[in-house]
Amino acid sequence: MTTMSFAKSLVNPALKVLLKQNNANLRVTGIPTLTPLSIILRRNYAEKQVFERTKPHCNVGTIGHVDHGKTTLTAAITRVLADRNLAQKKGYTDIDNAPEEKARGITINVAHVEYQTDKRHYGHTDCPGHADYIKNMITGTAQMDGAILVVAATDGVMPQTREHLLLAKQIGIQHIVVFINKVDAADQEMVELVEMEIRELMTEMGYDGDKIPVIKGSALCALDGKSPEIGADAITQLLDEVDSFIPTPVRELEKPFLLPVESVHSIPGRGTVVTGRLHRGCLKKGTDCEIVGHGKVMKTTVTGVEMFHKTLEEAQAGDQLGALVRSIKREQIKRGMVMAKPGTVKAHDNIEAAVYILSKEEGGRAKPFTSFIQLQMFSMTWDCATQVTIPQKEMVMPGEDATLQLRLLKPMVCETGQRFTLRLGDLTLGTGVITKINKDLTEEDRLKLLEGKKAREKAAAKK
Amino acid sequence: MPGLHKLRLPFVKADYTYKAKMIFQLVRSFHTSLSFRAAESSLLAKLRKKTGYTIANCKKALEMHNNDTDKAEAWLNDQAQAMGWAKATKLAGRKALQGLVAVKFDKNHGVLVELNCETDFVAKNEKFHKMVEDATSACYKFAHTNLQSKGAVTKMELDSEQLGNLSIDGKKLSEVLALFIGSVGENAVLRRAECWKANSNDVKISAYTHPAPSVASDYSAGKYGALLAYKQANDIEDRGRQLCQHIVGCSPLKIGDKDNDKPATNLDDEVCLIFQEYLLDPSYTVQEFLEENKMEVIDYIRFSCGESEETSLPGVEKQPLDTVQTLQ
Repeated sequence: MTTMSFAKSLVNPALKVLLKQNNANLRVTGIPTLTPLSIILRRNYAEKQVFERTKPHCNVGTIGHVDHGKTTLTAAITRVLADRNLAQKKGYTDIDNAPEEKARGITINVAHVEYQTDKRHYGHTDCPGHADYIKNMITGTAQMDGAILVVAATDGVMPQTREHLLLAKQIGIQHIVVFINKVDAADQEMVELVEMEIRELMTEMGYDGDKIPVIKGSALCALDGKSPEIGADAITQLLDEVDSFIPTPVRELEKPFLLPVESVHSIPGRGTVVTGRLHRGCLKKGTDCEIVGHGKVMKTTVTGVEMFHKTLEEAQAGDQLGALVRSIKREQIKRGMVMAKPGTVKAHDNIEAAVYILSKEEGGRAKPFTSFIQLQMFSMTWDCATQVTIPQKEMVMPGEDATLQLRLLKPMVCETGQRFTLRLGDLTLGTGVITKINKDLTEEDRLKLLEGKKAREKAAAKK
Repeated sequence: MPGLHKLRLPFVKADYTYKAKMIFQLVRSFHTSLSFRAAESSLLAKLRKKTGYTIANCKKALEMHNNDTDKAEAWLNDQAQAMGWAKATKLAGRKALQGLVAVKFDKNHGVLVELNCETDFVAKNEKFHKMVEDATSACYKFAHTNLQSKGAVTKMELDSEQLGNLSIDGKKLSEVLALFIGSVGENAVLRRAECWKANSNDVKISAYTHPAPSVASDYSAGKYGALLAYKQANDIEDRGRQLCQHIVGCSPLKIGDKDNDKPATNLDDEVCLIFQEYLLDPSYTVQEFLEENKMEVIDYIRFSCGESEETSLPGVEKQPLDTVQTLQ
């Protein structure tokens, strides 16, 4: 009883104050129709909704033929989930006409939709073309962890479905769930035939065709709220399969720690401190570490972690911190090196990358470039001169993506999936992601990097 | 199968729900795998595999001919053209800006052809490549047989309609295109073509597309393409292809005249071919490169895929009439 009255006394004055304020507001704004309650509600809302991280996040996307109902499916998913308060309903037109987005200064035609199931939170990507998915992968705006391939039961596998699967391979999607759409316009025999064809093609393209989940339904029925057995239920089934078949990506926090060195200080009486933003993982006092880069590898121990001049128990990915390292002089460490868990990173100087070259409108160059151009490569905190060769083409035009071979003048910390930019003078030429680490250069190869065009031609003529 | 279901069900009800699910799934998967085999051997599957037409159409064909596969196939082949046309008409309004630019050339003839489709997925498909190659061959043949006149170079521009009227293997290109549209279900357009014929022996024709094929050949297709007519003495190494690559890469708007045109102040904004930095060796300008190799550029044209709908046609300056004779 006492607690009750205590609570009342707490609440009441507050209410009174609120009401008073609202009355005052009313008088000022002079809108007589608004009740005080509605104003209270509105006042309590923040300007933007706060994103609550309660479920693991996963990025998926739809791929498939333009008329097979990718957009309808996406709209249907949001509708079905909106009924369970897990998504905001999106209409077909909201998702279609993928808006041009400028991510990292690159124009991509992409539609991003957000929704969640009971298990996970999803970012859903839909692009109209191959080039857009590639740009999406290179910029890393939403690296897809899995994909939903949409095939219409009326048409079956189309000639270009092969290209859709090739793309999925190219951007590294290993998990695909198939949705056979428009079953309302087909009969059982046709649907089974389509399923068989899909499994056959997937196997041919190097996926495990027999194990891939195939769901049959009609996105249109789900969107219109008709025949739930092929409409809403099929969508729910599809989402269940997506939940279970596409694995949750490993989060940055759970990976071994990595800290690109931004600067190094020497603090009298304490020792050497390296600063930077923890790229991934967690860092504690007493952790063994390795400092790699600029052709050096040093082993040491972190004897203290600080943030804002205060000691930190454990730093997490994203923290800007300073780390005290044992028995290493300031001169031995340089910006661009990387501090990481021993054995997890290595310096390389011969890599392969998927690169998007900016068009002139995006701030790039108007002219294409050819092999043997020398560019400055920027990644993490390091930059290094790089010789570029183009294995598959004679030149790369602005606005195009390409596979490039990059040979660095000195070994730097590189790993697959790492992003970088390429610059020439004061121009950003392109941005890319490392796809493969090749065998390190020999001493002879490295000397060749410095040779001019004339020497190369001479050597070629000799052969 | 239904009998099995009935037998299992009482048992299932008595068991844990989770176990029930398992068994149910087992029964179901058994069931579907059986019908799979049925589907595999069905007439529909056979017909679809053999003809490649859409499943709905195969189904319709079988129904119409009482499951007689031979008749159904004949009907499908018969109808394909009509269905292609129907699909093509239905999709005609949709924007098609992806696609390919193809070239085919020999010493005296050259053609540059552009075909468009809706997505770059289709542009990568081999069926589309085949379609482009067919169209290019038709134009190439046309350049050999129909271009006759005097002057250094005879040029002829073909628009979408004229292109469609050319034929390959006794079939009109527009018909081949309709068949293609019927098969991929996407709009496609025979956009434009340029046919060239050099009439005198000292004028040569070269061509280039980007991306270039790994082995140089007289036919190639890519996102960009260019045709070039030039004069070069025969005793010097032929540089036509390199110059063509420069044109594709640096997209000059005109050849330029040393006496009348002035170089731009900013080298990167240069639009006259002769003042541009030579792409493959920036220490030369194109003018110096031409002089060194004793070349003379007579004319060129460059296509960039998808550009023609944005602007009406590229603003390539036409040559004075005394060197060029255009048909029609």
